[in-house]
Amino acid sequence: MTDLIIILTLTALGYFAGSWAEKRHYLSIREREKQLLHLPAITMKDVPYPGEAVRSIHLAAGSAVISIDYFKRLLAGLRNIFGGTIVSYESLLDRARREALLRMKESAPEAAIIVNVRIETSAIGKYSSKRNIGCIEALAYGTAIELVQR
Amino acid sequence: MNVDTIQGYAGGDKGEDTILLTNIEAIPGKNIIEHFGLVSGSTIRAKHIGRDLMASLKNLVGGELKGYTELLSESRNQATRRMVRQAVDLGANAVINVRFSTSSVAQGAAELYAYGTAVRVE
Amino acid sequence: MNYTPRLPGRNHNVTEVSPLRELAVLLGGLLAIIIFAYLLLGLGADLLVSRISPATEQKLAALLSSHYGKPSQPTPREIELQAIINKMEQSGCVDLPYPVSVHIVDSKTVNAMALPGGYITVFSGLLKIVRSENELAFVLGHELGHFKHRDHLRGLGRGLVFAFLATLTGTSESAVSQLAIKAVQVTESGFSRSQEAAADAYSLHILNCVYGHVGGATDFFIHMPKKLDPGHIGHYFASHPENKKRIQALIALQRKKGYRSGPLIPLPALKKRAVKEKKSYPSPR
Repeated sequence: MTDLIIILTLTALGYFAGSWAEKRHYLSIREREKQLLHLPAITMKDVPYPGEAVRSIHLAAGSAVISIDYFKRLLAGLRNIFGGTIVSYESLLDRARREALLRMKESAPEAAIIVNVRIETSAIGKYSSKRNIGCIEALAYGTAIELVQR
Repeated sequence: MNVDTIQGYAGGDKGEDTILLTNIEAIPGKNIIEHFGLVSGSTIRAKHIGRDLMASLKNLVGGELKGYTELLSESRNQATRRMVRQAVDLGANAVINVRFSTSSVAQGAAELYAYGTAVRVE
Repeated sequence: MNYTPRLPGRNHNVTEVSPLRELAVLLGGLLAIIIFAYLLLGLGADLLVSRISPATEQKLAALLSSHYGKPSQPTPREIELQAIINKMEQSGCVDLPYPVSVHIVDSKTVNAMALPGGYITVFSGLLKIVRSENELAFVLGHELGHFKHRDHLRGLGRGLVFAFLATLTGTSESAVSQLAIKAVQVTESGFSRSQEAAADAYSLHILNCVYGHVGGATDFFIHMPKKLDPGHIGHYFASHPENKKRIQALIALQRKKGYRSGPLIPLPALKKRAVKEKKSYPSPR
């Protein structure tokens, strides 16, 4: 009886705390995306500027680790039985990647463009063993190009 | 600085159908007019217990796991579709330098991520 | 190549679905399927069990008990308990397919079990609580009731089904499997409680038949430590009904059948222990 109550309490806690954290995070992400829209990130390797215009380049990287909450884990476990899209996990991945991209852009404030951006995702944390669903780590890196000031 | 944010750009199915996807730097024979930055699509699908059991059985006799193959190709299609929708939303008609990345974030679930640069070509 | 800064209108990477609705649908579906499968398989187990003859059961029991080693000589207390069982059988009040023997296990547990093959196990913790032969006879009669209704075999069949379902859902998230196991436990407890009530009723009839009255029948529930009573809420999750309900059911049955109350026969060993016995009950664990 007591473990049933514990499960229900954790689930409720996960749902309320998790949704609140998610909303806040998405607001912050959207806000910063608007601010950093002037700095494009592309996957192309070609540097679209002639050699003389380039002042310096450096590797820019940003990463984020988003953890899963109990409610989402429960939902994902249920989905594993029935199959289909694990909706509770999508927002986790989305947030982690967008956050990683934003941090990469923030690490190169003077850049004009970031080229050859690559994004890596992996599961880490205590629950990342085979049987359980873990926390998400997203890493975004690319070459930031700073131009000579006109 | 002019920031042009389009709310609910209706690229529609037409835009999605005719979009060009490549993983090279350019579309041969066409010029890139403008680019819109990175677009991405991701999906995470789980298999159901039926496929799990079939897979365990197949582990004994060998052979192709059709259930998993279907699952992964459906995931890839969905991820690509989402990326294309985002590109069309921005007004692009091609996505170049597409990369796929998969990661195992959950057992029994296929996570696929497709990203590329959205461009407009002519 | 120019850069045109734009933001997408909506987020295509997240499906817009209310998570609570998804939880309700998935969890509800899963629990419904599990309970349905459990009931179906449980029904199958029941049908199978009724086909097992007493002779087969004794052979099975012989196989199982060989694990526990050779039975030693019966202790004096075991002989006492066996004497009560023999009294019941010889009085013609009990109709059992095979001979029943009693064994005592030294443990603080306040319980008795009916095992396949006609073996009753009584834990010494229970013997410390009972105060009269009638009370002890009620407990033994209750176990005989399980034998008569073949509950002990049903328990085996259901237990296997339950374990199978547990491993099936156990392959996924542990919280899910815990919830599923709870759901099955609640269903299982429902069956179990009705079996216990039936065994209680059977025992009452035996008491009346053997002793001519039903005095001492409810004493066991009164003497049981409060900690072991499932209680009002725990009742729905427990394999045995709440003690209050059991006492009420027995009193109602007594009135219906017109059984009388009568003098209790004290247990012989109690006379010796009367001096040393403490007022408080021993803790069961």
